[in-house]
Amino acid sequence: MGRITLEKVTKSFGAVKVLHGIDLDIRDGEFIVFVGPSGCGKSTLLRQIAGLDKPTSGDIHIDGKHVNDVPAADRGLAMVFQSYALYPHMSVRQNLAFGLENARMPKAEIESRIAEAARMLEIGEYLDRRPGQLSGGQRQRVAIGRAIVRNPTAFLLDEPLSNLDAELRISMRAELSALHKRLETTMIYVTHDQIEAMTLANRIVVLRKGQIEQVGTPLELYNTPANRFVAGFIGAPSMNFLSGSIAAIGREGTTVTVLGEETLTVPRPADDGMVQQAIAVGVRPQHIRLAGPDQPGISAKVDLVEGLGSETVIHARASTGEPLLAVLAGQHALSSGEDIRLTFDAKDLHLFDEAGLRL
Amino acid sequence: MADNRKGFRSTAGSLVLAAVERIMGIIDIPLRGLQKVAGRTGMAAFFLLPNMAVFTIFVLIPFVINFVYSMTGGAQIFLDQRRYVGLDQYRQIFSCTDYLDPNSCIQDGFWIAAGNTAWFVVIQVALMILVSLITAIILNREIVGRSFWRAVFFFPVLLSPVVVGLIWRWILDRQGLLNFILYEAFGSEPFNWLTDRTTAFAATIGVSVWAHMGFYTLILLAGLQAIPKDLYEAAQMDGTSRSRVFRRITLPLLMPNLVVVLVLALIRAVQVFDEVFVLTHGGPGTSTMYLIQYIYETGFASELRNPGLAAAASILMGAVLVVLTLMQMAASRRKEKKGER
Ligand SMILES: Nc1ncnc2c1ncn2[C@@H]1O[C@H](COP(=O)(O)OP(=O)(O)OP(=O)(O)O)[C@@H](O)[C@H]1O
Ligand SMILES: [Mg+2]
Repeated sequence: MGRITLEKVTKSFGAVKVLHGIDLDIRDGEFIVFVGPSGCGKSTLLRQIAGLDKPTSGDIHIDGKHVNDVPAADRGLAMVFQSYALYPHMSVRQNLAFGLENARMPKAEIESRIAEAARMLEIGEYLDRRPGQLSGGQRQRVAIGRAIVRNPTAFLLDEPLSNLDAELRISMRAELSALHKRLETTMIYVTHDQIEAMTLANRIVVLRKGQIEQVGTPLELYNTPANRFVAGFIGAPSMNFLSGSIAAIGREGTTVTVLGEETLTVPRPADDGMVQQAIAVGVRPQHIRLAGPDQPGISAKVDLVEGLGSETVIHARASTGEPLLAVLAGQHALSSGEDIRLTFDAKDLHLFDEAGLRL
Repeated sequence: MADNRKGFRSTAGSLVLAAVERIMGIIDIPLRGLQKVAGRTGMAAFFLLPNMAVFTIFVLIPFVINFVYSMTGGAQIFLDQRRYVGLDQYRQIFSCTDYLDPNSCIQDGFWIAAGNTAWFVVIQVALMILVSLITAIILNREIVGRSFWRAVFFFPVLLSPVVVGLIWRWILDRQGLLNFILYEAFGSEPFNWLTDRTTAFAATIGVSVWAHMGFYTLILLAGLQAIPKDLYEAAQMDGTSRSRVFRRITLPLLMPNLVVVLVLALIRAVQVFDEVFVLTHGGPGTSTMYLIQYIYETGFASELRNPGLAAAASILMGAVLVVLTLMQMAASRRKEKKGER
């Protein structure tokens, strides 16, 4: 079992408030990812759950048990640190055994758990080496192994892959995903890499300045971001935000004017009072197309073209000077300085009011 | 205004830079000539020369002279007036009827001093390591006024040994601070701490620990701070008891620093002299007379001064120090190797 609930959890360091009331219900067996820019409080939140730090206020429950005052070791959680935090003077085997010896587990049981973890993570060959004699990826596996042998109710992982090179990161990502399917244990994973979040998570928690911006499945966040911040944070490259205004609100939806040039009707309701109001119109770079000669669209000037073969990335500037990024499928013979016309479908537009909230 | 000043600063800066460049250019000329003559490796020797000269004048030559003295006899100072006696001085030191009893030796002073020094070294070094380790661990915690306490514990290291000796004499004298406090607090009779064999010996140990512990605390503190915090948090997640954390994590990771501290403390303890000499003058009797004091008094201070004997004694002590120094070098080399990984 590994259900973890947070209620109004706050954390202050002296006068600095780092977490501003976090409410979250993490289901048993879920792979949940905390994502957000650097310094937003992801690690701090994880440490409150781990018991390495105590919340200033609020409650944490694990499987219904109030754990605010339960020491870290007794919460049944295991943590994987960004730096791995392997004991450098102990062999891999000793590293794995250390926590189990604390719990006075019988030797045979320890041995069998190590053997099982070693088999699962393919680290059997290195059991008698020291961490200093391992590569980054191998150390990472040992760090995960040290968590696995404890048979925890939930794993806490703080940017576990950030010290690995890009290629290794991708393969370890897949392995972690497989590991989660296999163990079916709750995993709480911290990262500031939104691709990691999208690929690994059952649900993503987007944090910003110590507050939860949105919680949802990767596709929920991608398709219906709750606000401009989430919209810009999830998805790569980032969503474009263009200035627009609401022209009319009708039965079939809201009619918006984008950059004063193109008018589209978005099938989404808005308050009647919002007519004529300025809004931000979000559109993902992948949803932008070149407009045909007679089609409506917005005009733009090409700044830079990056031909990647399978797709072409266009950095452009709208007539208002607002930057625009478009990712076009296939190859396009465009050059910088060229005037182009771009268009998009109404269904792909995201509308945000002046406060940045989704309409 | 601000722009102006910035302009001024950068002009001043470039002027200084130009001046430095000019001077370097002038220095360059003779050095270039020299390099042509001496070659690349010769230049290295040239730059080492000042250091080598100092070392030769103040270490190497005195060492050789000392060695020569140790093979001469008599009370005269000038070498040309001294007679050659070969290894007689060493033979004298080692002539005892019973090797377990210093009083049976001809040079009983040497052996008493050596015995005192041995006891001193064992107890002082053990205490030193214990005290500086505990201090370092406390100073490594998040305590209030941490930097203040760090400075406080290092402060005695900066004091001249004579000052250290005098301070503690004021405290431990019959009419000193300690007796005054004890009298005020408990009304106890004044006790003569420095003329009782046991308390005087303890005082020399305590005072030298007090005077030097700051240095070793610093080495250990650096070692403690080099241990990543994460390891302790990992251990906390693992439910490790405090004593096990200390034994299995702190101690092993601090071991290289502890070894360095051990050997340095050993070397310094063997050489104990100044602050302790000011404190007790070796008394009462000879109970706090250590080797350096013996050498000093034999060579310069006693009425029947015997520079040859003192030289021989210092060579013997030097041999012990060489062994300890080799140990220290081996230890720090091991530490470097560990650091590489
Ligand atoms: N012990 C502490 N004392 C004071 N401030 C702290 C402490 N720990 C964290 N903070 C502050 O809390 C904020 C959040 O820190 P945290 O480490 O949780 O960020 P993060 O989201 O994990 O960032 P990153 O992605 O860089 O790891 C930061 O502004 C940081 O300066
Ligand atoms: Mg962090």
